[in-house]
Amino acid sequence: MLETAHDNVTTLAGLQELFASATHDASAAMCRWTDGIITVTLDEVRQIALEEVAATLALGDDPMTMVVMTLDGELGGSITLMFDDLGGRQLAASLLGRAVGTEPEWSELEKSALMETGNILGCAYVNALTRLVGMDLRPSAPYFIQDFGASVLQQALMTQAAAGDNLLLCDVGFHRQGEKLDWRVVFVPTPGLQASLQRSLHSAP
Amino acid sequence: MITTTSTKTLDTLVGMGQIAAGGPPQKMKAVVGSCIALSLYHSRLNRGVMAHVVLPDSAGRGGAPGKFADTAVPQMLELLKEFSATASCLTAKLAGGANMFGSSGPLQIGDANVEAVAHALRAAGIRITAQDVGGNRGRRVTFECEGGAMIVESAGQPTKTL
Repeated sequence: MLETAHDNVTTLAGLQELFASATHDASAAMCRWTDGIITVTLDEVRQIALEEVAATLALGDDPMTMVVMTLDGELGGSITLMFDDLGGRQLAASLLGRAVGTEPEWSELEKSALMETGNILGCAYVNALTRLVGMDLRPSAPYFIQDFGASVLQQALMTQAAAGDNLLLCDVGFHRQGEKLDWRVVFVPTPGLQASLQRSLHSAP
Repeated sequence: MITTTSTKTLDTLVGMGQIAAGGPPQKMKAVVGSCIALSLYHSRLNRGVMAHVVLPDSAGRGGAPGKFADTAVPQMLELLKEFSATASCLTAKLAGGANMFGSSGPLQIGDANVEAVAHALRAAGIRITAQDVGGNRGRRVTFECEGGAMIVESAGQPTKTL
């Protein structure tokens, strides 16, 4: 059945509400992890044409520091935390109670601090979504990657790209004591998880 | 989306699934991970075309021709016909096909993309003169319509000119 523009707007609005609820849980977890310094808020649930992903998300072409977690299976997807190098190092330093690292290579401890952040944030999302769809979602271990943001998101978007030309993703922003930071989380659900989330919207009282 | 770009524009960003064709002094750019940046170049005419291929096989599905290896190559040839370029005079270069999450990670598609693009080129009778594929690094690719060079940059690696 073809979805009309109105249906599409309604679906996106519903998913926006649903992800806002999951982001609230993720923000609480992030706030606890960072001693109340960092919170996250849902910026937008977006539908973007395949060819416009990099430009719309303003990923630029400089390397970024990222932590990726994937959810395998039909009800799957990926969660990617994206930082500029200094931003990632600042977060790692504040978590480790140390000065910001200046060596060109990240230390194992810095990587570990950022991966644990991905783990906490990712698991908070997964737990919230598991409650919503009523099925067990299992995240992978976090991957630490320093590379071009567009290169990493491409692979995260593959399952959706195989199903259509419009991609749905959730763009989440970070705040430090109320100030918006240039860091983000991009959540990309598979078509199966999207359908399941939409069903849960329709069956909600 | 397919674009035949004006030579007044020097740089053209070729997004996922897009194809762009042009001539000097134009440069075409793409950032790829598991996708493939594929260029076809005609040295006598000094004209070229670049596609940003996302997936190996259309399996009859619709969508932008540049998205799939099996539909991108015929569409690139069609665009080059505007410049009277025939397949036998073309050379191909490709970069990408990485597995960004490592060789044992999820969502592996890079190797299949490389194979499918090579297969589509063979079927069209076009030879590959250079490639930089595989691995687990993203690539920033610039295709220069003047001379047909493909410049490949990877984070923390020396720049390569194909």
